[in-house]
Amino acid sequence: MEYLSVEKRLSLVRFNIHSEPHIKVDTSKCIDCDYKPCVKACPAGLFTLDDEGRLHFNYEGCFECGTCRVVCPEEAIEWRYPPGGFGVSLRFG
Amino acid sequence: MSAEEKFDVIVVGGGPAGLSAGYFLAKKGFEVVVLERGEDIGTKNMFGGRIYSHVFDKYYPGWRDEAPVERWVRRERFTILCKEGSISLQYIPGQDVGEYDSFTAFLSKFLKWMAVVAESEGALVLPGVKVDKILLEDGYASGVLAGGDRLTADYIVVAEGINTLLVEELGLKGRPRPESLGVGVKEVFKLGRDAISRRFGIGDGEGVAEFLIGYPINKYGAGGFVYTMDEYVSIGAVMKIGNVYKSENNVMDLAEDLRSHPYIKSLVEGGTIVEYSAHMVGEGWGSILERPYGDGLLVVGDAAGTLVNTGFTVRGVDYAVESSRLAADVIEESHGAGDRSSAFLSRYKNYLDSSVIGRSLRRFRKVPEVLSLDRLHTTYIDLICDVLSGVYTVGEETPSLKESIDRGRRGRVSIFRMILDLFTLWRSL
Ligand SMILES: Cc1cc2nc3c(=O)[nH]c(=O)nc-3n(C[C@H](O)[C@H](O)[C@H](O)COP(=O)(O)OP(=O)(O)OC[C@H]3O[C@@H](n4cnc5c(N)ncnc54)[C@H](O)[C@@H]3O)c2cc1C
Ligand code: SF4
Ligand code: SF4
Repeated sequence: MEYLSVEKRLSLVRFNIHSEPHIKVDTSKCIDCDYKPCVKACPAGLFTLDDEGRLHFNYEGCFECGTCRVVCPEEAIEWRYPPGGFGVSLRFG
Repeated sequence: MSAEEKFDVIVVGGGPAGLSAGYFLAKKGFEVVVLERGEDIGTKNMFGGRIYSHVFDKYYPGWRDEAPVERWVRRERFTILCKEGSISLQYIPGQDVGEYDSFTAFLSKFLKWMAVVAESEGALVLPGVKVDKILLEDGYASGVLAGGDRLTADYIVVAEGINTLLVEELGLKGRPRPESLGVGVKEVFKLGRDAISRRFGIGDGEGVAEFLIGYPINKYGAGGFVYTMDEYVSIGAVMKIGNVYKSENNVMDLAEDLRSHPYIKSLVEGGTIVEYSAHMVGEGWGSILERPYGDGLLVVGDAAGTLVNTGFTVRGVDYAVESSRLAADVIEESHGAGDRSSAFLSRYKNYLDSSVIGRSLRRFRKVPEVLSLDRLHTTYIDLICDVLSGVYTVGEETPSLKESIDRGRRGRVSIFRMILDLFTLWRSL
């Protein structure tokens, strides 16, 4: 089996994306967060750092696992589930 | 749904815990609704792949002929992934085992069946409904707010799973700690029935449950699993969330790293990946609620922390069902007594503690701690791999087992340390 990027793996899953993000990050709190564990913890790779070290987050492709909420030391993440019927939709589970 | 509907019981969440709660309560004659936020039942749920039969044998008559069982587990394997090569230990039960005590399944499919059974007993199962808030009246749970609608009930059963947003809001739990939770990733590969039976050396309908430890997932401190489905193979790994603070590795690469090991490669060769998914998982002892109840309210399944990790097996689904059975009994007693106060409902905690769930939680409470020992994932893996490759790599002279052990152990770990670790391991299992 060839290498499968996380984007490729996410493309196998259906995400019924709602226009309103269910997870919001208060990036002003991230400045004081040295280790930025969310970047390493998200199984979908949705937290990324740009060249200046600023944090970016994309809620599309989220498994709604909750790991980022648990791992964030600054409580910078406002975490909700998407509205009923929206978000990740697994076929096998 | 009209603006206000009244039920006897509202169950929040349609996973194994919620759907079985709906089933048990409907069977007892309660008017019960199960609210599930997924667009369809089973779309938000993910697990490794093995379910223990005992709860279904006890509470779901005829289930063996109806439930979507993928394969009955007939092989237990424990595999150490060495830097190169691997070591497997396989247990095959005797022929006269009678009924199989566990099976592999896809959770999404299995839950759709559980929903049908709950409905056939008279429960109302509503997917596509997210509960935003649990409403209280004079401190008593009185209903829920869901997407602008208001539903009322005498009892609320919270079955929201391991991501305990509602339970925390109710004040039954503090902020979850990264040390007491794991994150799991899984990939599903389509291989075909014959290929699976051949590759795993099993007959049709027979399955393998496999636990993995070693390279390269040891750098995450992760343990892995393989389950054979009818035409698919599920492969994944679980790591403690707290481990991300001490590792340079990224969880999004965990599945990729696991798949890159030659042993795993050989298992999925020629297959097609059909799904990648992720979910949090409890760590047993660390997640159990002190108070899984309130006035007019009970918490069941992962939300209450009923999952037990025994080291080799994860008891999530069966214990979730068992907790809902106990909760349904308590609601029946409470209803009969006309008392839904938390003082009355607190007996649910006693029932849990003296049930198989409480007993297992206490018995295996040290397992997560032992499994996260760094030495277990590195030093001992290297040691045992070196010993076996030493014994089986034959040049002109074959080294004795003792020579291989001494060579493997050199400079890594003292005999004293090893004995101490073995003792800890033995005590935890
Ligand atoms: C990687 C991994 C491997 C595992 N392997 C195994 C295994 O092999 N065998 C085993 O027995 N167990 C295993 N488990 C554990 C098992 O999956 C869980 O113990 C089990 O699913 C718990 O059932 P539950 O109903 O309590 O929670 P869940 O299955 O999580 O169900 C909770 C449900 O509630 C819904 N929900 C949550 N909030 C709301 C809301 N506000 N409104 C409406 N709906 C809501 C969710 O959408 C979800 O469907 C594994 C878990 C993981 C993560
Ligand atoms: S862990 Fe929290 S505070 Fe730190 S970078 Fe991520 S979101 Fe920001
Ligand atoms: S909930 Fe899980 S998948 Fe979604 S952003 Fe957080 S860590 Fe990533």
